[in-house]
Amino acid sequence: MKRLCNIYLLLFVLFIFTGCVGVREFLGDVTDKIEEKNPQKVPEGTKILLASPYLEKALGYQKKDELQTALFFMQIAGTLNPDSTRIPEKIASLKSTIDYKARRHFTKGLKFYEKRRFKDARRQFLTTLRYSPNHKEALDYLKNRLHSKEYLNYKVEEKDTLKDISIKFYKDPSKDFLIAYFNNLKTGNELVSGTILELPVLESKFNRFPIDIRGELMKAEDLLIEKRCQEALDIAEKILEYDHLNKKASDLKNSAYYQMGIELSGQKKYSEAIKMFKKVTPEYQGVKEAIQQDINKELIKAKNFLKEKQYEQVFTVAEKILDYDKSNKAAEDLINTTFCQQGKDLIIQKNYTQALNVLNRANPQYDCVKKTISDVYKAQKKQAEVHYLNGVKHFLNEELQSAIKEWEKTLALNPEHKKAKENINNALSLLEKLAKVK
Amino acid sequence: MQQVVNRRKTILDIIFLLFLLVLSACATSSRPHHKTSEIFINDDFVIVKATTKDTLSSLASEYLNDPSKGWVIAEFNHIKTLTSGQELSIPLFPFNKGGLEPGGFQTVPILAYYSFSKKKPSKISITQDDFEAQMKYLKENGYHVITLNQLLGFFDYQEQIPEKSVAITFDDGWDSVYDIAFPILKKYGFPATIFIYTDFIGGGKAMSWKQIKELSEAGFDIQCQTKTHRNLTVLRKKESFEEYFKSLEMEISYPKELIKTKLNKECECLAYPYGITNNLVIAMLKKHGYRAAFTVDKESNPFFIDKYKINRSAIYGKYDIEKFKKRLSVFQNMELK
Repeated sequence: MKRLCNIYLLLFVLFIFTGCVGVREFLGDVTDKIEEKNPQKVPEGTKILLASPYLEKALGYQKKDELQTALFFMQIAGTLNPDSTRIPEKIASLKSTIDYKARRHFTKGLKFYEKRRFKDARRQFLTTLRYSPNHKEALDYLKNRLHSKEYLNYKVEEKDTLKDISIKFYKDPSKDFLIAYFNNLKTGNELVSGTILELPVLESKFNRFPIDIRGELMKAEDLLIEKRCQEALDIAEKILEYDHLNKKASDLKNSAYYQMGIELSGQKKYSEAIKMFKKVTPEYQGVKEAIQQDINKELIKAKNFLKEKQYEQVFTVAEKILDYDKSNKAAEDLINTTFCQQGKDLIIQKNYTQALNVLNRANPQYDCVKKTISDVYKAQKKQAEVHYLNGVKHFLNEELQSAIKEWEKTLALNPEHKKAKENINNALSLLEKLAKVK
Repeated sequence: MQQVVNRRKTILDIIFLLFLLVLSACATSSRPHHKTSEIFINDDFVIVKATTKDTLSSLASEYLNDPSKGWVIAEFNHIKTLTSGQELSIPLFPFNKGGLEPGGFQTVPILAYYSFSKKKPSKISITQDDFEAQMKYLKENGYHVITLNQLLGFFDYQEQIPEKSVAITFDDGWDSVYDIAFPILKKYGFPATIFIYTDFIGGGKAMSWKQIKELSEAGFDIQCQTKTHRNLTVLRKKESFEEYFKSLEMEISYPKELIKTKLNKECECLAYPYGITNNLVIAMLKKHGYRAAFTVDKESNPFFIDKYKINRSAIYGKYDIEKFKKRLSVFQNMELK
């Protein structure tokens, strides 16, 4: 029994010892949790004591211009002493100072950035971020805009192709694959106008041309002197494909076309010559005069065709002139004069319908056109009367069938001819009666 | 009969004893926990009074969920060690992500090593003793060697890193990194990043994939340094632009895929061969999902560095410790007010 008591005593001590640790821990946890949830339940005097060192720290940091740290400690003080009215005021004032300073430095940064003073701009944006660590715009300038870009943006214009853009941007149509690669496009696909493309910026050494431009230009100049204009032109156009702003190649191209025009003009192929001159830039010396001279020569040619009544040739030449020079009055006059002349010829041939068809193609504002149309109608009426009188003659000779035919011709030319209509009806009724008598 | 009764009583006593032991054990806390004297806690900060049992690491573990972040508490409270009864404020958010101060901003030096030798140094080969001395210097002088992820978090303006942070990288994939550098780094507990050019791996003086895997499993970051280590910025003789472009694509995409296959890890960074780059290479890196790339320009890096032109300081074989120290600039003076 004694032994049993000892054992129980030992066990009791052991239980208390081990159990107390758990109980203490448990009670401690509960107390902590209550404190965590109810910090304001700390006695009033303690709160002030707790808050004041943080307030002091905050003011210290504020003096050193470390405003974010000052704000942090001030907020601690405010949380520890929620009854204070002074601390929230200080917090509000500090926040407003921070905002003001951040805004001021950011504005300064923008001004430096606009002036391309990037080092100064960076310093201002860093200062902005120091005052206001979540200032997104300052961060954007520091992380993105102040770094050199490996892409440039390009807005697709109407009818742009990848090759066009490649020529514009890289002076090389063969780099279209590069644009397609970085913009997930296929080289053959049509581009949508307004799309923004990202074009990698290449070092100038990668923009070198696959042809020796200088050598090719010299070669083309020699060819031009030898009057091998087409070959010179081919070289100039090849250079311009890679470097569309190459002035020498552009001059060479103009010279080649001009010379080709002069040669054709010398061969009296004025129309083809004009075609060549038209490919030369209008500012090229002598080209405007050369075009005018050849147009005049073409007009003379056309007038000669008119004299020879070769109307279709007149139209061909005059229309070509208008193709080159839409406002060429002489060519337009010539066309309308030709229509009138053609109309008159058809009046003489008594082909009034065809005459009207031709004249309808002409410009009705022209006096000669107006007059010829009027002549057609007059001639038509006159001819109608001739047929009418012929009909009367046949009627008097009792040739009723012939009379009807003549009056029908009258009506064809003048459908309003009342007497012809009446006479036809009379003749027809007579024919009917005669048939009955027989 | 009495003997049987006594034996039964003894058995009952023992059972009772065991029951009490179990009960008493249950009454104790299941975690070996010491509670810090916590004064206040809210979403943004904690205020604690340190106890004798607290360390910076234990407090960081408790409040920042990361025992390695003791430096946050130390730096914020301007202390180096902890004393009992000390009142500490612990911010619960990255307090100064860019390391900005009224007098300037934080910079991170990144060291670039190549190969190592037991005794004789060369331009790109550092002796075991020199490397050991350099690592010892970092350890003893309060430098924190940070991981690649921490570094990228800093450059992304997401993460705060210790004031004296430094990163260690190795280029190419020499076997001496495994034989010489790895044990030293392990000794000091320093992380590192290894940029490999994959055609080199498994060759004469290069590491094998097995060794690389071991380093990767030991926590080293394995990243790319292209396939063949060609200069990414110049055309080879008679190479057309289109051929150059295709070669670039191969140099950038192939090692990424191979590392994924061999180590099942994403390669997000690249070290430029010879440390040089151009816009086209950067554009292609972005297209292939690389987050950052490294040159060998010797300056330290602020958080706002262009992430595709991160500087590294190449540490050469004939550097003495004084020259090494000059590569460890962690702050750039500049008035920011």
